[in-house]
Amino acid sequence: MTPALEVLGLNKRFGGLPATKEVSLTVMPGERRLIIGPNGAGKTTLFNLVTGDLSPDTGSVKLFGQELLKLPTQQRVHLGLARTYQILTLFPKETLVHNVVLALLGLDRLRWNVWAFLSGQRHLYDTAREALALVGLGSSADRTVAETSYGERRRLEMAMALAQKPKVLLLDEPLAGLSQEERSQVREVLARVPRDVTIVMIEHDMDSALAFAERITLLHYGEVIVEGTRAEVVADPRTKEVYLGE
Amino acid sequence: MRRNWLALVILAIVLIALPLAIRNEYYVNLASQILIYALLAVSVNILLGYGGMVSLGHASFVGLASYGAVLMLNAGFGHLLSAVVAIIFSTACGALFGLLALRASGIGFLMITLALGQIVWGIAYRANTITNGDNGLRYAERPAPFGIDINAAPNFYWFTLIVFAIALFFVWRLTRSPFGAALQGARDQPRRMRMLGHNVWLIQWLAFVLASFWGSVAGLLFVYYNLFISPHAIALQQSAEVLLMAILGGASTLTGPILGAVIITLVKNVASTYIDRWNTLLGAIFVIVIMFMPFGLVPGLRQLWLRWKRPAKAERAA
Repeated sequence: MTPALEVLGLNKRFGGLPATKEVSLTVMPGERRLIIGPNGAGKTTLFNLVTGDLSPDTGSVKLFGQELLKLPTQQRVHLGLARTYQILTLFPKETLVHNVVLALLGLDRLRWNVWAFLSGQRHLYDTAREALALVGLGSSADRTVAETSYGERRRLEMAMALAQKPKVLLLDEPLAGLSQEERSQVREVLARVPRDVTIVMIEHDMDSALAFAERITLLHYGEVIVEGTRAEVVADPRTKEVYLGE
Repeated sequence: MRRNWLALVILAIVLIALPLAIRNEYYVNLASQILIYALLAVSVNILLGYGGMVSLGHASFVGLASYGAVLMLNAGFGHLLSAVVAIIFSTACGALFGLLALRASGIGFLMITLALGQIVWGIAYRANTITNGDNGLRYAERPAPFGIDINAAPNFYWFTLIVFAIALFFVWRLTRSPFGAALQGARDQPRRMRMLGHNVWLIQWLAFVLASFWGSVAGLLFVYYNLFISPHAIALQQSAEVLLMAILGGASTLTGPILGAVIITLVKNVASTYIDRWNTLLGAIFVIVIMFMPFGLVPGLRQLWLRWKRPAKAERAA
């Protein structure tokens, strides 16, 4: 079977500092992969290389067998890639539903239309409201982002990515900065994502995301140190050494 | 909603009846001038307000369309063909300028548009054999669209008003359209927009082409109005002035640049007959408005209006 996401020998240096060193990663369709590692391990850099925000020095990134590296970010999205950001990047003055509509427009030919009224595109708004309902924001759809809490914004990020019905979803610390209650809300949302979506999730705090992961990759100083099933990685002495600080 | 429509209808009637009410040819011509500058300001505002791109070369489209049209007319071509070719030529130059300017963003974008505007100005100034240099080019008469004579001031005003209304309608639809939403998204979060599947570069380039198209239409009206074009009309000062109109009135709104054009054109033409230092007056107006209404007059006045209405509500609640 073709892997959903295949990263091969990826290298990226910032000046003299290697941010990723020979990173290779194979994620199968439908898999839930957790990428962990301490601060500065190169987790977000890896995502930026996959999405095209950064271009690597050497290596290859394939989505269902198709090489991505020569493609600009937006084309990778059209191939079925979506991501959320660790540092929220939303449209603060707009309503939640407008944020999701912008996400839907990104994949709709309608985005080039200079004549039609956006507000008249019922199907976009209906789909956007469904996506918001899915993450538990159905009743907040018409509030502006500025009026929402941090936890709600995190879920909005998720709604925007899920609304695009991606094949591969990259989540950058979706639980960061959330309360216990909000965390369980996000976990519920994640549990409801259908299996035809492959999920790769970065998490700094291992405990909060462990239940979600089927396979775990441990990054340290830009290198893959350990990779395997949840049990294997947790049991590995190098995980304890690098991550749990023994 | 219904009140908005009513206000619009009344405004339209006032604008249409204007030449019948004023009768003074000077002021009717001034009204035409205001409309032309308003169109120019609205077109540059597609870039400035909706796209977040500050262009200091927008007057070059006045130049390209004007010189294009007059050169065609003087070569013996008809009015319709000259107008169409001038607009296409000027917009095509806009497409090329966009290609160059969008290599950069922010200050870089501003400097490239400034340089391109200066190149157009420089060519108009220096290419004597074609453009007649500093003396400019003249043409004898205005076109007669559908056989209607627009040489008289009121007729020309109505002609300009019709073109302006059509242009404004198109730009209004643009700002409410999916493309308009994408343009504003690309202004606020370009990186996120890419990650949502939007081609930010293409969105901004198309906005540049649309802005240069409507700028060219304003340029054509400009040369019909003056029947004369010289490098002075397309100098850097012109580009800056149009930009100021949009900022003064409020770049985040559709109507702001129109109000800005009204104020600046009036001060330039009317106040200058009474005071010598009208430039100082203009500067003072600008500073005061920006101090108290940093987002321009239209958003500022809207806020004042809301604040004026709200205390009544708050009192009732108390």
